[in-house]
Amino acid sequence: MLDMILSQAVNGLVLGFLYVLIAIGLSIIFGMLGIVNFAHGAFFAIGAYLAYALNKEFGWWAALAAPLLTGLIGVVVEMVLIRHLYGKEPLLGLILTFALALLAEAVLRLVFGGAPVPFAAPKFLAGFVEYGPILITKYRMFVLATTVLVLVLFWAFLAYTPYGRIIRAGSRDPEMVGLLGINLPIVFTGVFSIGCLLAGLGGLLAAPLWTITPSMAAGAIMPAFVIVTIGGLGSFLGAIVAGLLVGITTAMTIQFQPEWSGAAMYILMAAILLIRPRGLFGERWERFE
Amino acid sequence: MTEQKKTLATTGLRIGRRGLLLGATSLAASRLGMPYIGNAAASEPIKIGMIWAKTGSIVDQAEYLAQGGMLALEQRNNTLLGRPAEIVWLDEPNPQGAQQSAERLVGEQKVVGMVGGALSSFALAISSVAKKAKIPYVAANAATGDLTGKSCNKYTFRLQPPVDVHARILAPYCASIGKKWYLLTASYAFGQDIKRAFTDYITANGGTVVGADEVPVGTPDYSSFILKIRAAKPDVVIGGIAASDLTTFLKQWNELGMKGKIPFAEISVGNTDLWGVGPEAADGLYTITWWYKNPNNSPGEQAMAAAYEKKYGRPAADKAWMGWLGMKSLLDSIEMAKSTEPGAIVQALENWKYRRGDMDIGYRDFDHQMTSRLLVAGIHPKITDKWDYFDVKAELPKTPDDIAKAFGAQADSACKMDTL
Repeated sequence: MLDMILSQAVNGLVLGFLYVLIAIGLSIIFGMLGIVNFAHGAFFAIGAYLAYALNKEFGWWAALAAPLLTGLIGVVVEMVLIRHLYGKEPLLGLILTFALALLAEAVLRLVFGGAPVPFAAPKFLAGFVEYGPILITKYRMFVLATTVLVLVLFWAFLAYTPYGRIIRAGSRDPEMVGLLGINLPIVFTGVFSIGCLLAGLGGLLAAPLWTITPSMAAGAIMPAFVIVTIGGLGSFLGAIVAGLLVGITTAMTIQFQPEWSGAAMYILMAAILLIRPRGLFGERWERFE
Repeated sequence: MTEQKKTLATTGLRIGRRGLLLGATSLAASRLGMPYIGNAAASEPIKIGMIWAKTGSIVDQAEYLAQGGMLALEQRNNTLLGRPAEIVWLDEPNPQGAQQSAERLVGEQKVVGMVGGALSSFALAISSVAKKAKIPYVAANAATGDLTGKSCNKYTFRLQPPVDVHARILAPYCASIGKKWYLLTASYAFGQDIKRAFTDYITANGGTVVGADEVPVGTPDYSSFILKIRAAKPDVVIGGIAASDLTTFLKQWNELGMKGKIPFAEISVGNTDLWGVGPEAADGLYTITWWYKNPNNSPGEQAMAAAYEKKYGRPAADKAWMGWLGMKSLLDSIEMAKSTEPGAIVQALENWKYRRGDMDIGYRDFDHQMTSRLLVAGIHPKITDKWDYFDVKAELPKTPDDIAKAFGAQADSACKMDTL
């Protein structure tokens, strides 16, 4: 039994990293822009479909461009729709991004059809490794490594570059940053685009594991929201810790009480919110009070 | 004149000459106007309700089911009983949503019949509305036994063979591989029926169930379930997960190196489930209801498959056929009944027959279950055509007697059929 617990714990951690990758973009967009992006799952699905289309036409390496293209779509969406929501009633953002999610699903269905489309990991990532009772596939290790790399790079970008400082300052006091002569709308477009790029990267990495259908967003958006809520809205570190917690909790529930596995993360969220209503690393933000 | 007045007076009816003239003129005018009124009613379209998912985990199958249904009406030039006919398609996001859609179709759209219910739980919800509103309903995809078992009713007809029939056909194949089974089934009616049917079979035949997990619908990651299966070392894994959930499972089953190591079997899968898996990961032993390349397909089915491929640029999946045949049975029955009166359509559905191969298929009187053959199929060792995954091994049961036995006799049925 100990072997199985160990095996499931490691598997849960790996699964958690995939969840972190999906959730981090949502957390960034909320933390920096104050927009609860219901369309985040749609960008995840767009990333997966772009990967499918590029892979089909040009091969696996071309599929790596899918997150960048998703980020570019994010630029257009921000400039046309999202920027009109800054400083407005939060409900407007919820309604607009929800409508955007429905529209994106309908467009994917129109272009690619409703049936799932196949997508496999490249051959060099096929197979798995075993360490005693622990089994990890090479592909999941690749997902884990990619996620860690992206998180470190993004953290370094925010912490050590002038652009990162502007983004952090703008997220706290956009008025003051604007008064300093910084073109904040461009900064916000960049932030939204990065959030979409990360969602697209999540879609690309999940494509060989999940079923690619226009409705696949639903499978991503719920864990993402749960993770962001548990970690604390807008908290970078919170999203990482919460993602790993959700992964391990889900894996352990499957081992001992499989019929509860779908509800496990929601129960975890309810329990944490009872103790810390702002989430594990949630802070008081003047902008949102 | 005096005599006439006296007669009218005794009957209590007093009509003057002017009144009589006015009445006659009005009657004449109304007679002149009537044909136009009659024509307006005749040109009003007959509405057929269709409830297939537009969102959710079953939406990929529902698209084909809906396309098949629409094709059935198009093949009649969108007319019924000499009048224009149209399909009103509503969503079924969940069982409550399916029920609400059925109520809207009946109450607002005044449909004369309904087809739909992609998942068993949806079909049960729609069936309850059909019963209450007394509107004929054909469940073309749902497989739970209850629909034509304990929840049967006079207005509900079901095309898909129930889980028990699929299980009776597939279980012997699985038992020939080994007698230690692991069950991975969805946590709703369809999966629970599979769990019961296969557990009953293997325990009655000297085997054991070494593990059984119920999986929530829409589970995005099966790796933890697969690790449990791997540790239990079963001879066969019996699946009971539907549509995109099955696709996700098979992808991850392959990813974790299980493809080809432990055989996987499942009933009632669709082409679309496998098309989404891809040739690298496709694996398993299945029952399927229809296959577009089956040489025994009737001329009508071949024509449908050709029309579908011409229109949509891809082969007709089994779900397209199910949507088509379910709708066709309802439309044929309306024509047979020469009426849109629900009772007449129900009686026509009970008498409706369709020739497939060497037998007529139709809905049984006592439970409204369609009886037909199933295909047992594996996966081609090497897939060269992106649409052609199935390696069909048999079409079963062979004889009409065996079919009747597989579907069960009236004495064994839990259905207590009500009256019109």
